Amino acid sequence: MNAAAWAQKKPSKSLKERAVVLVLFLLALVSVLTTAGIIFTLFGETLQFFRQVPLLEFLFAPEWTPLFAEPRYGIGALLAGTFLFTAIGLVVAIPLGLLTAAYLSEYAPFEQSVRVKGIMELLEGIPTVVFGYFALLFVTPIFQNLIPGLNLFNPLSAGLVLGFAILPYISNVASDAMMAVPRSLREAAYALGATKFEVVTRVVFPAAISGIVAAIILATSRAIGETMIAAIAAGQRPMLTLDPRETIATMTSYIVQAATGDQPAGSLASRALFSVGTTLFVLTLTFNILAQRIVERYRERYE
Amino acid sequence: MMLQEVAIGHETVRWEPVPAEEAVIQVQNLNLYYGKHQALYNVSVNFPRNKITAIIGPSGCGKSTLLRSLNRMNDLIPGVRIEGKVIYEGVDIYDPRVDPVEVRRHIGMVFQKPNPFPKSIYENVVFSLRLQGQKEGLDEVVEQALRRAALWEEVKDKLHEIALRLSGGQQQRLCIARAIAAEPPLLLLDEPTSALDPIATERIESLLLELKQHYSLIIVTHNMQQAARIADRTIFMHLGVLIEEGPTNVLFTNPKDKRTEAYITGRFG
Amino acid sequence: MQKGLSLDSSQSPQNLRRDRINRLFARAVVIPTVIALALIGVLLLDTLYDTVSVQVVEVTETSGKSFALSQALTADQVIRLELLAQGKSPEEVAALMSDPDEMRVFRLRNRVELMWATQEGPLRWVVSSIDDERIANYSLFEGLRRWNELKEGLQENQQLRLNPWLDYSFLTRDPSRNPISAGLRVALFGTLWVLGLTLAMSIPIGVGTAIYLEEYAPKNRLTRFIEVNLRNLAGVPSIVFGLLGLAVFVRGMEFGPTIISAALTMALLIMPTITIAAREALRSVPDSIRFAAYALGATKWQTVTMVVLPSSIPGIATGVILAATRAIGEAAPLLIVGAAAYVAFVPRGIFSEYTVLPVQIYLWISANLSEFANTAAAGIIVLLVTLAGLYALAFWIRRRYRVEW
Repeated sequence: MNAAAWAQKKPSKSLKERAVVLVLFLLALVSVLTTAGIIFTLFGETLQFFRQVPLLEFLFAPEWTPLFAEPRYGIGALLAGTFLFTAIGLVVAIPLGLLTAAYLSEYAPFEQSVRVKGIMELLEGIPTVVFGYFALLFVTPIFQNLIPGLNLFNPLSAGLVLGFAILPYISNVASDAMMAVPRSLREAAYALGATKFEVVTRVVFPAAISGIVAAIILATSRAIGETMIAAIAAGQRPMLTLDPRETIATMTSYIVQAATGDQPAGSLASRALFSVGTTLFVLTLTFNILAQRIVERYRERYE
Repeated sequence: MMLQEVAIGHETVRWEPVPAEEAVIQVQNLNLYYGKHQALYNVSVNFPRNKITAIIGPSGCGKSTLLRSLNRMNDLIPGVRIEGKVIYEGVDIYDPRVDPVEVRRHIGMVFQKPNPFPKSIYENVVFSLRLQGQKEGLDEVVEQALRRAALWEEVKDKLHEIALRLSGGQQQRLCIARAIAAEPPLLLLDEPTSALDPIATERIESLLLELKQHYSLIIVTHNMQQAARIADRTIFMHLGVLIEEGPTNVLFTNPKDKRTEAYITGRFG
Repeated sequence: MQKGLSLDSSQSPQNLRRDRINRLFARAVVIPTVIALALIGVLLLDTLYDTVSVQVVEVTETSGKSFALSQALTADQVIRLELLAQGKSPEEVAALMSDPDEMRVFRLRNRVELMWATQEGPLRWVVSSIDDERIANYSLFEGLRRWNELKEGLQENQQLRLNPWLDYSFLTRDPSRNPISAGLRVALFGTLWVLGLTLAMSIPIGVGTAIYLEEYAPKNRLTRFIEVNLRNLAGVPSIVFGLLGLAVFVRGMEFGPTIISAALTMALLIMPTITIAAREALRSVPDSIRFAAYALGATKWQTVTMVVLPSSIPGIATGVILAATRAIGEAAPLLIVGAAAYVAFVPRGIFSEYTVLPVQIYLWISANLSEFANTAAAGIIVLLVTLAGLYALAFWIRRRYRVEW
């Protein structure tokens, strides 16, 4: 039987559909190309860097001073600064974030949780340059009155404010994890005569622990990559120290300092900049993937 | 009418078919598989022109699957494989040279739940014309389609309001108007009243009885009373097999197969 | 919880303690929210407070006079009074004011502002030159407390004034090395240019990617790879995008520190955000709607463009606006791709140099704090108000146009 004219396929139409799919596919590839671009530029420049600077120097030199007459390239100085900044931020954000998560998942009535989420969104929406300004001009002067020997630029006030900037990440992911804990577990504990506090701390928290860990890892990754608060309030002077009163530089604030200093392409100083970028990228990517893995695993468990 | 005997698996079933020249669409030896699972077994049936044919049967019997085979909606489900022929206007719509999109333009369909687009009533009705780039005479089409769908009087003053504000029954009549706007000779209805209240259902049923002057209708329903009320012919299906087919009053009063009898007397379903 | 069940057991010291901890904890969980809210409030108030200061200025180029509102209502009237006060004859003044070039030079070198208070009284117009020297800048509190003392200590050709930094003229002034006459005009235009170009590039890419993944992509490893890649890209620190932009756009393609480099960098940065939001919006369109379109004989592309995409536009628009707020607030990547240079002029095209709001604020903060703290604070308020407006818009769209299926 022949296909009558009314129903016959028109080659032009299927060609158009195929062209559409191709164009959309190419658009979707842009994100892959972006990742490839990041990896190639960062690793390319970094490879060049290590042709001139031995890996041991990079790992173990005590200073990071690429612009000095006798430059040193010890990433440790930047890692120490990043660590201080991040650790102080986490010290603030973890307890506040977990309490907020407990409130959202266990205590808050619906309207109240909408409001709390709104406040967290507000925190998330404030540009970090504003947080930096606040840390430097409001928090630091107060701390300087309380803590003798506190530098104008210091990881203490920067980290404190950072804690609030990353608080939403912890509270969001952790409350999701806690809400995923099955109701039956809670009811079992109540049936044994537990108070709500005991249910939350001894049943819900342990059951949601992988999600909570993922939340903290995610927030750590954000903190490591956070730039403007560090650049404005923590300082841009690399220093191998764990004293939170000292001026330091994080990897990000060093990148800001170096990149705004206009170094010619191909110079060793510029390559050093990219080697810091690579370290930052690898570190944050590792943390992100780790957090995703953990989240996927607990999703599988409860869904 | 002649009697026919066809072997289906180990069963032998008899029915009186609609003659080919009176059929709007003919199904011949249709087998349908979802992956490895077979959902339709060697179904053959002719649907009459300008009549209402009801397909009934317990849930999971393949009645919706059969209906969706008639306008190639099953093609949209990944992993579906179809053997056999469905002949419509002289064309096997499963011929590889046939464009399924064209088939659907010629055969209208109404779904279980009303699914108007989140557009105005007007835009819903003219959607199929817009697909073909028609720009003129839209107003006339809207009025005629809505009149035929018995919705015109209720919505003529708010044609440009969003369709989602209509009641469920109105939405379903709008979906019927949308399906008949392009004048398809055949209209498929997949349990069109199952989501509606009795009053809305009654209105749709009387609408379908009027529509049969202009269109051939095939309706899937889980509601036997509905089939008895409106259908000229009825098909009973069970586990993917067409068990019995015939004039509605015959099938309901004098079923030949014991499974049909069990179903219409409510002993399973 | 179990009070009243057994009075005996609930009175035991151990149970009393459990009960107390339980109640304390129920209160403690609210504390972080309160602290966060307080922090936002303090941050806003502190910044607003910093937008006002009391300053003593040594007048070298201008008359040092202030003019009451009753004397002048428009800037032109103020300029006339000022020129007369500088000792020019009425004829000279008329000639100056009718010459557009002269007036342009005058406006570049001076600013006309309504001060909240001066030594001569409240709400008075002041014309100050960029060459006028700021001798002292006091915070609002200290300045008001010592107002009379400062007023008495004023020397010849010194002026005391309560300066609201955030006024209309702040938005329209060009940048300057002198905080007295520094303004946001160039940064505002830079932000508009970069944002417009960023969205023009990232919306098609982001929405296209979302359509591909939701409507077309086969379920295979490549699709899965693209999805995982998108999620990881969304977590890459923004400054790394800056390094990518520096290597590829600024240096590799030799665009230099221009708007096009900034917009390309920003587009890549916010593209994952847009894609994720658009996918969610597309996913919220029920399949029954797609089937309805197919059953009417729509091709896949017609179904997408005529039904699915229009139905998800509110969701996509909300996502795009939220991505735009990110693009507006981000300073780090643009610092890397060269927004940090001092730019005195409004951009004229995509190959112009530029600066944007948050970068301008960063530059003011890092330039010389005591000088620029007030302009930085005023800039922050402008930035926050802009963002608040966009959030409100997103919220409104979400409420107004949400389709209830």
